[in-house]
This record gives sequence, C-alpha cells and structure tokens, in this order.
Amino acid sequence: MDTATHMLRTGRRGALFQLQMAARDLRNSFARIGLAWSLATHDVASRYRGSVLGPFWITLSMGLMVVGIGFLYASLFNLPLSQFLPYVALGIVFFGVMTGTINEGCETFVQASGMLSQTALPMFTFVWRTVFRNLINLAHHLVIVVGVLVFYGMWKVSNPLLALIGIVLMLLNASWISLLAGIASARYRDIPQIVISVMQFAIFMTPVFWLPGRFGEHQIYLDLNPFYHLLQAVRAPLMGEPVLPNTYVVLVSMAVIGWLATFLIFARTRRRIVHYL
Amino acid sequence: MTTASIRCENLTLRFPVYGADAKSLKKALARAVSVGGALGRHAGVTDVTALNGVNLELKAGDRLGLIGHNGSGKTTLLRALSGAYEPDEGTIDVHGRIAALLDLSLGIDPTATGYENIRLRGRIAGLSSREIEGKMDEIAEFTGLGPFLAMPVKTYSAGMQGRLAFASATAVEADVLLMDEWIAVGDSDFQKMAHKRLLKLVERAGILVLATHELPLLKLYCNKVMRLEGGVASEVVDIRKVEQLLAA
Repeated sequence: MDTATHMLRTGRRGALFQLQMAARDLRNSFARIGLAWSLATHDVASRYRGSVLGPFWITLSMGLMVVGIGFLYASLFNLPLSQFLPYVALGIVFFGVMTGTINEGCETFVQASGMLSQTALPMFTFVWRTVFRNLINLAHHLVIVVGVLVFYGMWKVSNPLLALIGIVLMLLNASWISLLAGIASARYRDIPQIVISVMQFAIFMTPVFWLPGRFGEHQIYLDLNPFYHLLQAVRAPLMGEPVLPNTYVVLVSMAVIGWLATFLIFARTRRRIVHYL
Repeated sequence: MTTASIRCENLTLRFPVYGADAKSLKKALARAVSVGGALGRHAGVTDVTALNGVNLELKAGDRLGLIGHNGSGKTTLLRALSGAYEPDEGTIDVHGRIAALLDLSLGIDPTATGYENIRLRGRIAGLSSREIEGKMDEIAEFTGLGPFLAMPVKTYSAGMQGRLAFASATAVEADVLLMDEWIAVGDSDFQKMAHKRLLKLVERAGILVLATHELPLLKLYCNKVMRLEGGVASEVVDIRKVEQLLAA
C-alpha cells in the first residue's frame, strides 16, 4: 500500500484499521532500518563533533565514577575490591544504557518534528534511532566492561552468551518504555521531567552501587523492582553468577505485556503524534 | 518510472491545537478528577478544520499553484500530500516519488557540514549511501557553494541554506515536488538554476504543487491554479484565469 512510489492515506477509522496502520509503520521502519542507523550515527558524530575523545568522553566519565565509587564503597563496607569493582562497573555501564534509552525516548518524536511534519517516514524509525544511538554508546563503554573483566580475571568465569541474551531482553524492554515515554512526552510536556526523576530514583533503589546482600524480609522489594531483574540478566552472567529463573519470567512477560500495551497506545495515537508536536 | 498522479477525494483534515494548558499533565489530571467537569475534557484543545472536503486531481505534467490567505490551508494541504498528515475523512492517493520542500530545516543539522547535510537529506529521501556518493558531485556543483560545503551549515546565510536544501531535495529524482514559497530565497543566479531544474522536472512528466502569494512566480511555474479559502478549495482552473479566481 505504501511504497516508495505510492502513498495512500485514508480517513478510515476503527480499531482494526488503526492496528493495521501501526503494523505497517513498524514494517516500513524495518524495511528502512538503515535510515535509523544513519540518523543514529549522525547523532553521535554530531554530538561530539570537534572533541578529541568523542563518545569516549562519557566512557571516561563513567570510568571515573566506576573507580571512585568502587574504591570508596569497597573500603566503606569492607568489601573485596576484586569483586566489588567489576560489580559496580557492570552496574553503571548497563544501567546507564537503560537510562539513556528511556530518558532520550522522551525526545524521540519532539526532536523529529521537522521530519515528521513533511515526510511519510515511519514513526518507528525514530524509535530505533534512539535505541541505536544508545547501542553505539554501549559499544564505546564496552571498553570498561572488557577492561574490568580482564583485569580482575573474571572473564574466565563469565558467560558472554547468556549476557547477550540479557542485553537483548534489556533492550526489548527499554525500547517499549522509550516509545511510551516518547508518545507521552510529545503530548504532555511534564513527562520528561517525571521520567528523569523516576530513573534517578531507580538507580539508587536498584542494586547498582550496593550489594543486595542480606535483604531479609525486605527481599520482596527487590523482587518487585523490574530494573533489578533487567540489570541482573546482564550483570550476573558476566560475573559468573547464576541468573534466577524468575528473572527471565519477569523480563519476558514484561516485554510481551509492555510491547502489547504500548503498541495499542501507539496504534491509537499514531496519526495524532505529529499534531502533538 | 511510474506515472505521477495525485488524487484527493473529499479530503477533510481537522486537527486539535494543543494550547499550553492542554500540554500540562497537571491540568489534564485535574480535569479528569474534577466532579462533573461540565466544561468538557477538551478544555484547552481547540479543533481546527484546516481542510474541508478538498477534491483535487492532478496528472503527470501538471503544475498546480496554490493561492490563498495566510492560514487558508495551503501548507496543510502540502503536508497532507507529503504523507505527514492523515485525513480525517476522504482519501489522498499519490503515485510517484514525493519530495517535499516545505521547511528548510528538514534534516538540516546546523552543526554539520554541507556535505554531511546532503548525505542526511539523501538518506531521508530514500537514497542509499552509495547512490548519494554517486550524486554528490552533481549536487555539490548545483549548490554552487564550493568550499563552503565543507563548513558547518550554521555559518551559512539563509540564501545559502536555501541552495543547499533545494539542491539536495531535487537531486532525488522526484516525480512529485511539493514546495512552499521559500523558493524565492536564492539570488538571481540561483533562481535561474532552480528554474532550469524545475523545468526538467516538468519535462520528466512530474507534478509540481507550489504554494505562493506571488503572482509572477505562479505564472512562471504553474499551468493550473487552485484557491483555498478557510480550508475550502476552489475548482482547479487554468493559470490564465488566475485573475478571475483572485477576484472571486
């Protein structure tokens, strides 16, 4: 129906039609996935234009934070540095990617308003742009991950394949949250502030800088924290620790339910998003 | 190449205008919980009927001029034809590759160089990286910006930006060209080149839809004209009857 040389738009309504249109948007975005990638690489290149280190600047600041917090907390809580530093490093890097994808999701459509209001580009292209941009950042931060794992000899016990599954699950979940935040932020300008606050709160409530250790009767709060599961699925395998089966249950069901609900919302709001901007 | 055509049937486009109030979550929540909200949930959201039952049929070789006062729906019609706005009623059916030149800033990143912006625009228009590199020399030459292309676009004047945008947008072999009136930005040299390129488009049996207030421009490029008034369109008439249309 919509090809490079044919565009048809109708005033048809109805839930089924809206779903079809949303599905078509998604399909078209995959058909032109290279565009999302080009936009993402352009974003990264232009953000760090003229700087010597480029995206490695965030890697550097992350590295500093890892070393600072690693040494400080290890000595405060009497923890062995060889265990705690990799733990904090992986936590900060992967939580950062999650936060980045979600926070920048708020800007997905607002930033693209110029393009959305004069082209028939799929909306999803811009969602993937945000996700890809954060993937590129992650690729730079892998320096920290690999460095720490090698330095503390943890690579011998880590399971990269399982960690990769964890990363996929993390991105699957972060991307629907990112899309949801994008739609809501286009409509209500308060949302980005709320999202940023929630993510900031989450980083302290999730065992990123601290060990879950003896949580005792409060363990339930940890189990209810989706960010804990998201992080565990990536961090635990890299540290050679087992991932609890219920973590996968939580992540898979969260991805399925989250995507279904977000896709329905997207289908309903799709044609309006451009007017929100 | 497909034969270009545009068909709009009973095209109606309403859009909600979200005022500052409607963009505030707090006020939306307050409305939702207030008892008996007689003022309606849509406080702050005004529905504007931008296009009302527009019928339009263009075939290959047509060059339509859109005239009308500010806010009469010219740009909205162009945006709808570009595929960005979806109709509330009726249909829009466009055959052919569409290139929209409505806003100079499309995909223009002011901190990036001219070359990078050409690449970016080319990618948005659906070219592969290789196709863009293949056309790069031609586009670069057409812009006439020479060494400035290696400089950030933020250092360009409005006219230079116009050259860049026009050159990169028309480099894509578009069948349907949608233009808002900014074509007047360039200097006379550029106007001449733009003129040539537009004629080439017409030769290729493309369709041009141009919104403008300037009669000379209209007479130069268009062979048909349509007047929009408050979202209601007139008949499409021959360009020679433009005075009649304006007097009506």
